[in-house]
Amino acid sequence: MDVLDLARVQFAVTGSLHFLFVVLTLGLAPLVAIMHTRHTLTGDPVHERATRFWGQIYVINYALGILTGLVMEFQFGLNWSGLARYAGDVFGAPLAIETLVAFFLESTFLGLWIFGWRRLPRPLHLACIWLVTLTAYLSAFWVMAANAFLQNPAGAVERGGRLVLTDFGALVTNPTLTMALPHVIGAGLWAGGFTVMGASAYHLFRGTAERALFTGSLRLGVTTAFIGSLITVGFGYAQFGPISQLQPGKFGSPPAGIGLGLMIAIGQPLQLALMFLMMPALYWLPRWRWAQPLLMLMVPLPFLAALLGWLARETGRQPWLVYGRLTVAEALSPGLSPAAVAVSLTGFAGVLGLLAVVDYLLIARTVRQGPGAVTLGADDLALTGPDERAPALSH
Amino acid sequence: MDVLWLGVLALLLIGYFALEGFDIGLGVLLPVLGRTQEDRDRIVAAMAPFVLANEVWLVAAAGVLAGAFPSLEERVTAEGYPAVVALLLSWILRDAGLWFRRRLDGRAWRAGWDRVICAASLGLALSWGMVSAALAGLPGSPIGLSGLVCGALLAALFAFHGRTFVSWRLPGRVTGAHRGTRALLVSACAAAAPAAVAVAASAPWLLRHAAPAETLSVLSLIILPFTPVMVGAQVWVWRTFGPRRGADRVPSFF
Repeated sequence: MDVLDLARVQFAVTGSLHFLFVVLTLGLAPLVAIMHTRHTLTGDPVHERATRFWGQIYVINYALGILTGLVMEFQFGLNWSGLARYAGDVFGAPLAIETLVAFFLESTFLGLWIFGWRRLPRPLHLACIWLVTLTAYLSAFWVMAANAFLQNPAGAVERGGRLVLTDFGALVTNPTLTMALPHVIGAGLWAGGFTVMGASAYHLFRGTAERALFTGSLRLGVTTAFIGSLITVGFGYAQFGPISQLQPGKFGSPPAGIGLGLMIAIGQPLQLALMFLMMPALYWLPRWRWAQPLLMLMVPLPFLAALLGWLARETGRQPWLVYGRLTVAEALSPGLSPAAVAVSLTGFAGVLGLLAVVDYLLIARTVRQGPGAVTLGADDLALTGPDERAPALSH
Repeated sequence: MDVLWLGVLALLLIGYFALEGFDIGLGVLLPVLGRTQEDRDRIVAAMAPFVLANEVWLVAAAGVLAGAFPSLEERVTAEGYPAVVALLLSWILRDAGLWFRRRLDGRAWRAGWDRVICAASLGLALSWGMVSAALAGLPGSPIGLSGLVCGALLAALFAFHGRTFVSWRLPGRVTGAHRGTRALLVSACAAAAPAAVAVAASAPWLLRHAAPAETLSVLSLIILPFTPVMVGAQVWVWRTFGPRRGADRVPSFF
């Protein structure tokens, strides 16, 4: 492989990993916020346990979302400095706005939410998780605005060999943004809904404690996935119109075409199953023990479809980095040595890949152990186990 | 307008060194100040509520680089490629250590991640030294003697800041020392001084290489109205997790 291939593989690996974790972040954030709202309004301890249980899963998943996102953000500068040189004055704007207005606030409020249990007044603590949700969606908007600019460089003209921003309105009303953003958000709700549904089905199938909690969660998960699936599929098909005008032949190349085909082959039947089988049976699903293994097996499907859709969108842009203006090869940083990119690729892919596996195992373990073992928001007496309490007694 | 954005970049970088400096310093000192697992837990718990709010200053600075000074972003990464890669790898490993260390019960698991936090924090300080040496154009950079010397200096500054922070938040508990807010401000200034010098030295170059006025106006229009919210969120973190509010009483998530 030459430098270009290595740099492309590096971006594909970190980007795909980032997307897998971010899609669940987008789906779980509003669900945790809804559960926390119920807990605050009713004071019912079941809702508190639900908030902390799903909140801990959300937070463990969020960790890898940040770590992969950091590498993504810096990779533009490391390997693709031609993009900054040619289009940085336009492409950099939505990224700068995302980091300052969205991510800066999201991370600060998430810290307050995680460590604010039993410290912050209840209404303010609740406000934190809603602010986290709001800023996560703002973040999605600006990142998608930057990506949409690569698909269709609207709002910019070339002056002296560089793109210059002339119409900010066109940048944020780009048709490849306005159609794709709801598609991605719907996919996030779908993935989040299925995760909640599958984990609840596991506990109901095993007959563990917390029957009421998981009965409610399973119904919330299926309903959220249904709403997400309608948004995803609706805006998915709606995208074909603008794409056929702006990026004709986008899905003509084998990787993009196969990715798109597989995504639809997973998404379309699943959406029909949600609409005609699962939603009508919503009341009985928590009791149908035979159905629960099926619900568990379905969890990876929206993630797989989201990944395929993302690959179709990005490989369909090739060989352009900024569609019709700058090729991927032209954007490669000058003077990069294959050794430097190979070493950084091994480092990032190895470390992030390993951490992603550990993260998924920790999420699976959190699910398996159930709400009783959650450490998020635990109070003084319920630390993390005897291991933790014994030394305190010996003081 | 370009002066304004230079000010924002300076503020974010100085803020990052002043704030994240104590997290990195405590990570480096983890095995020194925390001889037992309980001590290490206490040290991590002391910095835990601040880490997320501290490290975002660098993410924001990188965003400002991408939006307002794309040429500097290119220069940093071109001249310091290996150092930036080392910085990123150290950063993600340090964070992974913090997020993961309490997620399993076993002592070996937690002690293992504590070693990762220490090594990765040291890696962060050293890679910052290498990045600075490369930007200053010192001979033998980025990976060489000058980078290592800069890195060792930064590690020492951060360690001093971390020690002061933990003596401020948990007075008498970890270091045996009591430090007031004034001592913490002094150590924050010491940790931030290298960033202030670096920005001041490169200010003329940066002003010549800022993004065009159209881009800067858009950034100002969208971002500046949010600054009170951003400042407010940071102040809220410090008000909530200050030393007077029973810093040691609630079990930590990290």
